[in-house]
Amino acid sequence: MIYGLVAAWLVVLGYVVLLALRERKLRKELDRVRHMVETTKRS
Amino acid sequence: MRDKILFTLATVCAVILTWNIHTIFAEVPDELNQGAIFRIIYFHVPANILALSGFGIGMICSIIYLFTKNMRYDSIAEGVTEVSLVFATIGLITGSIWGRIIWGVWWAWDVRLTSFLVCWLIFAGYLMLRRAIEEPIQRARLSAVVSVFGTVDAYIVWKSIEWYRNQHPGPVLSIRNGGGMAPGMEAPLYWNLLALFLLSVILVMVRMRQESFAREIDSLRREAHSF
Repeated sequence: MIYGLVAAWLVVLGYVVLLALRERKLRKELDRVRHMVETTKRS
Repeated sequence: MRDKILFTLATVCAVILTWNIHTIFAEVPDELNQGAIFRIIYFHVPANILALSGFGIGMICSIIYLFTKNMRYDSIAEGVTEVSLVFATIGLITGSIWGRIIWGVWWAWDVRLTSFLVCWLIFAGYLMLRRAIEEPIQRARLSAVVSVFGTVDAYIVWKSIEWYRNQHPGPVLSIRNGGGMAPGMEAPLYWNLLALFLLSVILVMVRMRQESFAREIDSLRREAHSF
């Protein structure tokens, strides 16, 4: 039984980690593009 | 505001799950024929209910997108389908573990299991298709069509235990006229369904936030290219 419970939560945990990594990447990209747009506007 | 809602939902979800795990392991007795392994039903069935209903919700959003061309429905469909696929994976893995102990095999090619695997593959293909197509409108249109086809299979999965003779057990829940569980054993399953539903809402909300980031990045890029 415990294997089933562990397996279920491992899948959820894996997905949460994937979401967190994706969010970090998107936030970095958003900052980079915002900076790029501001630099382009100023120049 | 959205962060507050997420935090509240996560707290309620954690409280219900903690209480329910205690109930399942400490208060619910072993099933007469299956022993302790029957408890896997408390995760297997709610995960599958959420997966199949999530695919249905994804299909409804996809159809609304096809009629209205509003990209918001496309992004809801993607978020809901991705989270539903996670729950479908949980359903497949927990079912396989149960089958290994009760049937002695990890997998049986009966209608329920095979149609569920096909459903999983269709929606995994749906997500791969979305990654493969760059153009947003074409991506939304094609993935909406795949979602409709996939949900037809999800309906076959849902009804297969009534339509066909299967190695997979028939309906057990009283809400589905199964009547195969004692009332004290059935209630924790609905509590787990509620907790996992809240978890799925949290995951979809996070996914939607990421979609809004991606849309903002796209519009900023277009703005930068227009200078």
